[in-house]
Amino acid sequence: MHLRLAWRNIWRNPRRTAVIMCAVVIGVWSMILLGALMRGVAAGMIKNGIATLTGHIQVHQRGYRTDPAIENSMTTPEVVENALRKVLPNGAQWARRVRVNAIASNARHSSGVTLVGIDPATEARVSFIGKAIADGRYLKPDDPHGILVGAALLEQFETKLGRKLVLMSQDTAGEIASRAFHIVGSFRAEMQATEKRFIFVTVSAAQQMLKLPNGISEVSVLLPAGANSEDVAARLAAALPSGRYEVHTWRELLPLVTTYLQLMDGFIFIWYVVTFVAMGFGIVNTTLMAVFERIREFGLLKALGMKPGWIIREVLTESFFILIIGMLIGNLLAFACIYALSGSGIDLSAFAAGAEFAGMSRVIYPAFHGKDVVLANLVVIGLGLLVCLYPAGKAARLIPVKALAHT
Amino acid sequence: MTSKSITTLCAALLSITVVTRAGPTQDAQTIVEDGFNYWRGKSSVATVLMTIHRPEWERTMTIKAWTKGQKDSLFHILAPPKDYGNGTLKKGREMWMYNPKVNRVIKVPPSMMSQAWMGSDFSNNDLSKSDSLLTDYVHTLIGTEMHDGHKVYSIQSMPKPEAPVVWGMQKLKIRDDLILLSQEFYDEDLQLVKAMTTLDIQMLGGKMFPKVWQMQKAEEEDRYTRLTYQSLAFESDLPDRLFTLANLRRPMR
Repeated sequence: MHLRLAWRNIWRNPRRTAVIMCAVVIGVWSMILLGALMRGVAAGMIKNGIATLTGHIQVHQRGYRTDPAIENSMTTPEVVENALRKVLPNGAQWARRVRVNAIASNARHSSGVTLVGIDPATEARVSFIGKAIADGRYLKPDDPHGILVGAALLEQFETKLGRKLVLMSQDTAGEIASRAFHIVGSFRAEMQATEKRFIFVTVSAAQQMLKLPNGISEVSVLLPAGANSEDVAARLAAALPSGRYEVHTWRELLPLVTTYLQLMDGFIFIWYVVTFVAMGFGIVNTTLMAVFERIREFGLLKALGMKPGWIIREVLTESFFILIIGMLIGNLLAFACIYALSGSGIDLSAFAAGAEFAGMSRVIYPAFHGKDVVLANLVVIGLGLLVCLYPAGKAARLIPVKALAHT
Repeated sequence: MTSKSITTLCAALLSITVVTRAGPTQDAQTIVEDGFNYWRGKSSVATVLMTIHRPEWERTMTIKAWTKGQKDSLFHILAPPKDYGNGTLKKGREMWMYNPKVNRVIKVPPSMMSQAWMGSDFSNNDLSKSDSLLTDYVHTLIGTEMHDGHKVYSIQSMPKPEAPVVWGMQKLKIRDDLILLSQEFYDEDLQLVKAMTTLDIQMLGGKMFPKVWQMQKAEEEDRYTRLTYQSLAFESDLPDRLFTLANLRRPMR
């Protein structure tokens, strides 16, 4: 009975109901969509970070992480590789790398870069570089002078494929090592900074240049989906001779991303509350108006013997209908938007420099998290009903005689 | 006094032998090598004015320079007072810089090798890899011309395939008395990047030597660095102990 009463009541003033419903729709829609976009940014950051030469787990010589100098290289990588073979789950891939800071120069330009010596075949399975060739070709295992550079670096250096690039760095003897390379291919990366920072040569070319026979800087491991990197890292650390090596997971290797992820949950909740506060004032105001308009009516109901609790329930039911309908439409709208964006994403290429500054990828794909959607809806319905207690209480406390005399 | 005249004599004799050796062969590699030895001398002590010219400003420094053989050099800045005592030591392909204000000797890291030396148009690489011209290039004689009564050899120097040099080509003009007239640096598209020219050839330190060396960026009239020799003496030998880190810190001798 009181459900029908409430339903009819909210449509007594359809325009007002429509306006407040709109507020709920927009609120819910923005909560869910922006939440999904933020999750998308975070997912992009993790994906990028892991693909950009991080991997899920890395093994280094102790001390390399604090001082990534050539002296802190692993001289006997076989030890590490034996341990990897024993410990890693099926489907895991790993790649050896030499990684040092170097200076690349040609006749007109020079710039600081990170020289990465890779094993072309294994590296393609671990990091982004295997699929990133934009022009030219990928490195061959025996490319003594081949080099892969980013498309942005190519542009910055005003050079092209086939041209020479001279790399300078410090070798193991502390002398200046320099070597000429020929650009065999260019790659495109998610971020321009990556294109400008990394250049790839074969691991043997890097070892020759740096006088680092057989030595490598790091081993990067990519785990199959579902594997827990912390567990594997712990087992790997136990399998390695203690004291000489350090094992890190991507959570430690990408501290910025990890912190961002931790921040995200709190941030999304705060965002929900902020959106709700704006929406909540609208709801309270409208409901209060609806109550004041019907003072005589409530007075009559009370005079007829309706208990204050029932009046509160009556008003709350009206709000509940408005909120539920608004939420339903808002959710549908948000899902539709997420679905529409999931194909192409939001392309930020035009603002690539700005997006990169924040460590974001060029295209944001919304990521749907059921937890966020439930939270958004709970916030709206819970707090919505809570704020409506105020006008409902006002209606319940009316004194019938005064209310009936109200004009 | 006598020792000085002996050294001059030695230098003169040396240059004569060098000239006679280069004369008949005319092989480009020999010309470049002999030329390099001629203008570098066995050892030399010089005072040079370095003028850095830019569209907005110009400044001049006085540099005292010692060189020995093809590889070792020591520079000290004498003026202006602000830069007094700054030094650069080059041994082989390594370089160190000394700054008296911070009282520190810094080994020039690879990252700084392609930067300008003391803000000039010469890079640290130009100094530290000066002998790269001899080791990393293949020289061919592309022409001779007569100029002021001298035969001038035009030499094209192409880098060896895997040589770690940034230039795509260098072109040298060397007179038949082994004086370098110009050295041009080209990129891989064979576009001129910068060029060094020498002017005002006269008797210096007992042999004919250009007094002015000017390094100029291509297509930029207003940006150049000019070295003017104020005094130059070629020595038959300088002691190895001159080119040490301790001497880098001790500017005035």
